Amino acid sequence: MIKSIEEYLELLKTELQDSDAATAQDALSDAEEHLRAALANLREKQPELSEEAALNSVIEQYGSPAETASAYAEVERRTTPQLARENVKNESAVARFFGVYTDARAWGSLLYMLIAFVTGVFYFSWAVTGLVTSISFALFIFGLPFALLFFLSVRGLALLEGRLVEGLLGVRMPRRPLFTQQNLKWIDRLKELALDRHTWFSILYMFIQFVLGTIYFVMFTTILSLSLSLIAIPILQEFLGQGFVTNNDLRYYFPTWSYPLLVLGGVMVWTIFMNLARGIGQLHGRMAKSMLVTD
Amino acid sequence: MVDSLTLTKKFQKEMNAGIASLVLLSVLAKSKKPMYGYQIAKLLEEYSGDATTFMKQGALYPVLHSLENSGLLESSVEPSVSGPPRRYYEITAEGKETLVIWQGVWKQMKLFVDKAIKGA
Repeated sequence: MIKSIEEYLELLKTELQDSDAATAQDALSDAEEHLRAALANLREKQPELSEEAALNSVIEQYGSPAETASAYAEVERRTTPQLARENVKNESAVARFFGVYTDARAWGSLLYMLIAFVTGVFYFSWAVTGLVTSISFALFIFGLPFALLFFLSVRGLALLEGRLVEGLLGVRMPRRPLFTQQNLKWIDRLKELALDRHTWFSILYMFIQFVLGTIYFVMFTTILSLSLSLIAIPILQEFLGQGFVTNNDLRYYFPTWSYPLLVLGGVMVWTIFMNLARGIGQLHGRMAKSMLVTD
Repeated sequence: MVDSLTLTKKFQKEMNAGIASLVLLSVLAKSKKPMYGYQIAKLLEEYSGDATTFMKQGALYPVLHSLENSGLLESSVEPSVSGPPRRYYEITAEGKETLVIWQGVWKQMKLFVDKAIKGA
């Protein structure tokens, strides 16, 4: 006999240990939402039932932890995130290398690398402001409620970042917030959040995102301008009469025979970067998953 | 030899896999307001008379997720007065179009199965 919703969730968690961490998080919050609503409803209708009897009748209808876990595993097996589609196998290395242009994940990663610069700056300012004000307000009575608000905002931002990572990088992330125990006093809630590893990893992620976001952005702009300028050299020299370097009256020109090589070089640099970006995106997704998703 | 109860359960499960999507889409298409999981489960309980004959309520949620993932449903989280916040589901325009097709498929399927059972 299961005695409390917490116990049910623990059992469900054990059942789900082999499935994807994000699926498990979804399953746990669905179960918690449903069981609490159903239990409250049943207790209202039949107040004579004991808490335990009511809970077990609710679970009877919802399904045992094992049944619920298998239902999620079943559906998860059939649906994968939109960008995570399997690549076509048995292609030659050259086809794979240039096939990057048709790979949505590579374009998603590029877009993510640009966005990471903006979100990184925002996360960093948010985390620093939140931490510093929480610590200095700790001198006053409203320091603790302020810290609670900050921790809650971190949880929210972690979920939002997860949606971004899943959408652009194709790595499965939680689709709904992680529920913490209800009817806790705010001070206990604060304690729970402060002691949760997940909160601190999310804050750490916010700092790391700032550094990585900057690196990604610099890489993106540098390599884009390098490859575009290589491609532009023939046009610059032939149609606009400019040298590739102009120093006072001295102009340096590339010889005409090198034009095809320069254009090819520009295209290659960008193609290599696209392949690299796809890899970086996957690595970043894995990092985000290990830091933002509770296991 | 596998006992008939296990076999029946397996048969039920396999049948539910497709039907659940059709049922959930239909319920949400009829509903004027977005509904949350427990509300939907309650309504289905009313329809079936005995909830266990259709499927466990817990199995509805992963189906809701996958419908949302395919763009047939939309959801939003709203805080509730008691307990954890609730996720409300609503059918999308694409979902409504798909439902019409699925209902057609279901009608044909039903005719076919009925004929096969009766042997007429």
